[in-house]
Formats: sequence, C-alpha cells, structure tokens
Amino acid sequence: MILFDRVTKVYPNGSVALSGLNLHIQPKEFVTIVGSSGAGKSTLIKLLTREETQASGKIIVGGLDYDTIQAKDIPLVRRRIGVVFQDFKLLPNRRVGENVAFALEVSGASNREIKRAVPKMLQLVGLAAKEHSFPHELSGGERQRVAIARALIRQPKILIADEPTGNLDPKTSWEIIELLLKINRYGTTVLLTTHNKEIVNALKRRVITINRGRIVRDEEQGRYSLEAPTTLKGADRK
Amino acid sequence: MIQFIRILQTGCRNFMRNAWLSVAATAVMTLTLTIIVISFISNLALTSTIKGVTDKIDVSVYLKTDITQAEVDSFTKSLNSSSNVASVEYLSKEKALASYQEKNKNNPQLLQALTQAGNILPASFNIKAKDPKKLNEIAEVINQPANKSLLDPSAPQTYSGGRKTTIDRIVSFSNFFKTGGLILSVIFVVISTLIIFNTIRMAIFTRRDEIDIMKLVGATKWFIRGPFIIEAILYGVIAAIIALLLSYSLLLGAGPKLSSYINVDSTIHLFRTYPIVIVLCEMLIGITIGMISSLLAMSRYLKL
Repeated sequence: MILFDRVTKVYPNGSVALSGLNLHIQPKEFVTIVGSSGAGKSTLIKLLTREETQASGKIIVGGLDYDTIQAKDIPLVRRRIGVVFQDFKLLPNRRVGENVAFALEVSGASNREIKRAVPKMLQLVGLAAKEHSFPHELSGGERQRVAIARALIRQPKILIADEPTGNLDPKTSWEIIELLLKINRYGTTVLLTTHNKEIVNALKRRVITINRGRIVRDEEQGRYSLEAPTTLKGADRK
Repeated sequence: MIQFIRILQTGCRNFMRNAWLSVAATAVMTLTLTIIVISFISNLALTSTIKGVTDKIDVSVYLKTDITQAEVDSFTKSLNSSSNVASVEYLSKEKALASYQEKNKNNPQLLQALTQAGNILPASFNIKAKDPKKLNEIAEVINQPANKSLLDPSAPQTYSGGRKTTIDRIVSFSNFFKTGGLILSVIFVVISTLIIFNTIRMAIFTRRDEIDIMKLVGATKWFIRGPFIIEAILYGVIAAIIALLLSYSLLLGAGPKLSSYINVDSTIHLFRTYPIVIVLCEMLIGITIGMISSLLAMSRYLKL
C-alpha cells in the first residue's frame, strides 16, 4: 500500500529530514510511528500528502508512483488519503455536518450524494446527534471525531492520524484510538503517529521508530521506545 | 458545473462575511469608476463643444473697391489651392450690403445713414479653414504679392473678428481638462488596484486555516482561488452600477446648468441610446481591475 524506497528529504535550509528511509506498509495494516520531535515523522506525512517532494528515492502509494504525479493531479492524490491532526482543523463557522460535507463538496460530489453520505459517516463516528452543532459547542474528542468523519467521507484507502490524541485526556484518547481500530477493521490502512507511550504499548500493533530521518526500529507488536535496539542499530548503519 | 456554483456561493459568502473590507474596496472602486465615467463624459462634451467653436473660426479678407471679376476668380483659385482651405465664399459689395441690412433691420437710423452714404461696404472673401490652428498657411496665400495688391489696404484681414485668441484659449483649456481627466483616471485605477490587492491579501491571511483545510481535503487550485476572484469581481460589478447611477444623475442634474458653456446633449443622448453597452463597458473595467489585482495578490500570497 505504501512503499518508501531510499527516500531522502533535504529542506532548503540544508537540514536533512529523512535520509535513505525504507518503509513498506501492507494494505489494511495498523502502523504506529513514534519518534522524538524533529525525527522526521511530519516530513514522512507531508511526503505522503505531497505537501513536500522528496530529494531522492521512490514513493509509491496505492500503486501510484509519486514521481509521475503532475502538479494538477496533487488534489486527486490527496483525495485518496484521509488525514486528521492534533488541532482538528475544522472550519469554525460551519456546522458539524457541513464540515464533513466540505470534503465532498470540494471533490465535486452532488448535493444528493452529500445528503446521503454525511449522516451515515456521522453515525459511524458516533456523532449522529451533533450534525447541526458548531465545532465550538463540542468537546475535544467530539471534534476529533468530526475530523475523522471528514477524512473518511471519501472512503480513502489510507487514513493518516498525526498525533490525533495530543490534545485529549486519556479516556477520550482511548475512544479515538478505538475508533481508529474500528476503521482499520473495516479495511482502511491506518498510519498513526503519537507520543503516547501507554497507547502504543497497549495497541500491540506494528511500531516503527524514526530517529534522525532513519528507521531505527520496526517491530510487529512493538512497544514504545525512542532508542534503537543494539542489533538493528548496527544493521541500519551499514 | 456544481463546482462553479459552489465557487460562486463561497465567493458571495466571503464577500458578505468580510463586510467592512468589501465596503472599503467597493467604495474605492466606485470612486475610480466614477472618475473614469466623468472624465469620459467631459471628454465627449468638450470635444463636441470645441468642434462647435472652431467651426466658427474663419478668415475674412476685404478687397479693394475696383476689383474685377477676373481678379476675384484668380484669387479664389489661388486660395483653393491651399491645402488648409475648406471653403471660400465671395461676398460682393451688393451681397455685403444686403446682409448688413438684414442684420440691422431693427435699426432704421443706421440703415438710413448707410443709404445716404452709398454702399461703402467692401467686397470680401470668407475663408473657412480645415484646421483652425494653421491659419498662417492661409495668410501666406493671401499675402502673395499678386493677391496682396487686391486687398483693401485700409481694412486688414481679420480672424473671426478677433475671437481667435479666445477660441485658442478655450481649446488649450479643454485640452488641459482632457489630459487632467486621463491622468486622474490612471492614478485612481492604480490606487484601486492596490486597495483591492490589499483586501484580497488580507482575506487570504484571515482564511489561511480554511485554505489549509481545502488543500488537505483535496480541493483543486481553482476551487481555492475561485472565491477570491468572485469576490474581486463583485467589487467591480457593484461599483460599476453605483458609479453609473452617480455620474448619470450628476449629468442630468448639472447638465442644464452647464449647457450654456459646453455641449452635454450629445453625451446624454449617448447614455440614453446605448445604456446596456455603457453599463457593460463600465462593469468590464471594474471586473478587469478586480481580477488583475486579486490574481496579483494570489500569485504573491496564495501558495498552493
């Protein structure tokens, strides 16, 4: 589903965000990416959403080689990937339903399609009753659910959750993670980044640790650790 | 199609949401378009006034008393050979007397005095020039020795009875106004372009988050840019309507007072005959200014 082959990203100021990163994620996987700030997690996500372009290496997502994408097709690439953020990024002056509908409006869906799809999606994330509320009337967890609903409304194959629980209390955080697991069970590949140790350890799913632009740890049923294991550390340096 | 309608809706909504910025931008645009219309109107009115005035410029040449028909013919011929002569009219002594009597028919004392003295009026040429600014070309022909000997030495040639300097002044005055109007129009076009540029720039900044979200959910470039262009077009369209109403009522209100100085009838006539063309032209100017400045602002501040 996602393939990074020796991907390097250097920013104009000369800082190297990713250096020769190799990554392969299968369809329907639930992968957690951990790493300290500045390790390269955000760059990885920006490369996936084509906000940034790699300096070298290959990125293939859902069979699409990112080198072949033309500027005008970038919006189409983004429509295949749902993204949610720590700060929700909702439109404050639109109601919950309108926020979710917005993703469909942008891609040219008909009003009828929108009317049919939005309540269904709100039901999936457990917000059917809040369709007509404004974001400021919702709790943090509810807002994140709206963001997830918006990310999923176009039925993307991949959902990227960039520290979705960063602003939420532990209980609410778990509710969001459970929602992500539910979405993953329905067949969507989920890519989660987080600093929350408890969540990572409890998930018992694949954990990838990034440090200084490289993968230093990649374990099925991994645990939260920012350190590279001694064995892999040596192998990666070759 | 549904995309276009959504862009249109978003543009209109943003226009309303930014009410104060919109009002300011529309006001400046209105001022600019009003100045353009007024400068256009005064240009038309002045041109038609000047044409009326300069038509009245002619050269009168008085001839000696004992001139023969052959001499008249050759003089006429040499005048007609000048490229700047539009027409030559020969006024014989008899005709001059008849027209003098006609002009002064309400003054019997003067006419009586004239009859007693016999016909003292000289024969003359009335020469109309094609270009009133180049009367010296005609003077050259008149002053050729063969022609000069036929002139009445006591009555010098006259240019519209001395009105030429006044007319010259009017012409240069109106030229000054025309140039001034043009310069003022250009200055205001630049000002309103800058103001709208700034308005759109601020709109881009205040809607930064919204634009990020649009990008995030896969909006195309034109879906993001469209509403800003619609907004700028709205400034132009609304301003054009206000500016036209303003200048037309100004024209109707001030027209009668001005009509003794300049010719405004042709302009009012133009407004009445082609209202749609004028409205469309005005909107086109407004839309062009709006679009150019919003595109400039976006190329600078809206990185997609």
